[in-house]
Amino acid sequence: MTKLLSASIALSAMLTLACNKADSSEPRPAAPAAQAQPAPAASPDPAAGITAGGQAVNAQGAAALEFKKRIDAYLKIHNDAEGKVPNLKRTDDPKEISDREKALADAIMTLRAGAKPGEIFAIEYQPYFIKIVQDDFKGRSAADRKALINELPKNIKVDINTVYPTTLPLETFPPALLRKLPDLPPELEYRIVARSLILRDVKANLIVDILRDVVPTIPS
Amino acid sequence: MKRLPVRIVAICWGLLALAAAGQAITEQQRAPASAISAAIEVHAPIGKDSVKFLVIGDSGTGDRAQNETAAQMWKAHSLFPYEFAIMLGDNMYGSERPQDYVSKFERPYKPLLDAKISFYAALGNHDDPNQRYYKNFGMGQKRYYTYQKKDVRFFALDSNYMDQDQQKWLEEELKNSNSKWKIAYFHHPIYSSGGRHGSEVDLRSIVEPLFIKYNLNVVFAGHEHFYERLKPQKGINYFTAGGSAKLRAGDIVGSSALTAKGFDTEQSFMLIEIDGDVMRFQTISKRGRLVDSGEVRRSPNS
Repeated sequence: MTKLLSASIALSAMLTLACNKADSSEPRPAAPAAQAQPAPAASPDPAAGITAGGQAVNAQGAAALEFKKRIDAYLKIHNDAEGKVPNLKRTDDPKEISDREKALADAIMTLRAGAKPGEIFAIEYQPYFIKIVQDDFKGRSAADRKALINELPKNIKVDINTVYPTTLPLETFPPALLRKLPDLPPELEYRIVARSLILRDVKANLIVDILRDVVPTIPS
Repeated sequence: MKRLPVRIVAICWGLLALAAAGQAITEQQRAPASAISAAIEVHAPIGKDSVKFLVIGDSGTGDRAQNETAAQMWKAHSLFPYEFAIMLGDNMYGSERPQDYVSKFERPYKPLLDAKISFYAALGNHDDPNQRYYKNFGMGQKRYYTYQKKDVRFFALDSNYMDQDQQKWLEEELKNSNSKWKIAYFHHPIYSSGGRHGSEVDLRSIVEPLFIKYNLNVVFAGHEHFYERLKPQKGINYFTAGGSAKLRAGDIVGSSALTAKGFDTEQSFMLIEIDGDVMRFQTISKRGRLVDSGEVRRSPNS
């Protein structure tokens, strides 16, 4: 919980730094995890005031709150699913590891049946995440940018609530970019596949949410 | 003092082993096309109570190259009895089904496992982080961890995902370590002359200040499918040893100012001995050739 709170604060601070132009968006209440519908991304407005818990907060704070809320909702599902599968301990039998990973993934997929992109990367705040990633890439040297992009798995289509392809490498996540994104609980991590930013459940090897067309292309 | 390599002719694919204590035997035999060379050049360790270990990287293919290189590792053990092995990531390529653990790890390294040689793995980009639950990888269910061997403190990092938790952990562990030697290993090299990947400058910007601040002595990395000993960088010695099965032949950029010694024409592994203030290293090729050796002296300030 402390970690998520700090993630919330981090996101708030990060969004303040990352967004330097005004736009308009009226944050809407979080949709339940399995009912969120994709919508066209609106431009976020850091200056737009809203009320949360009786206090006025700006859109960045709202984004932070919303992200935390959705992560919390996912963790509840993850924990429910973990309660339904055998505990995994240190083992010399690899079958126990793969069986457990699959069982956990199956349980979560069942609990999140019908999940759609944008359930955690809330639609209205996606531009913030996109901007953070794109600004990070813009700030790199051409050689560094090219090296990073060349390392990413290409021509791969991944989808929400599916297993991360087991034959696909988990490319290193740029540490400097990781610093700019809000911390995640240990159950989750960010990854980049092709041009998409994904949230991945580490123990279940499951794609929890996906934000497409985030990573810039290399000009030919 | 320059030591001459001990040469033996070991049993290999039915060839008779000929070895005599302290005597160099340099018989070369023509092996079948599918077999590795019968000869191996290895320096015996010098220290009586030294820390001796094996370094392998990017090993988990399950193919012939892995098996042949693993066979040399076991042959080397008879001359250089290392007590444990560190793995620099990409411990398993492709699928990670139970049978893959067998074909890509347990079978190639069976003689080592039978000899109770412990493995301590770091995660590579091809590795499912759930490998940390696999007992034979010695990770204690952690993606990053530390352990002690006599005077040496090892830090096995997860360079795939260097988040703030790991950075804080690393700083705390480095700060609290009073060990004579501090060695870090992880998958992605922060200095490299590889044409395909090159130096991971992003990662470097995060970890190098900690390495310097807390007097780390040596870093081992993989990812690049070759061997490279780098010129010391800011007082730290870097080795890349990611060619224990995979090989990216000719990938070392010839004009690189970073390289002290490169070897990218054959698979390889390293043998390390830490003896007081000296670390002796040797790099052995898949065919048993000694391709690099030397020693690193610990800085009196560290």
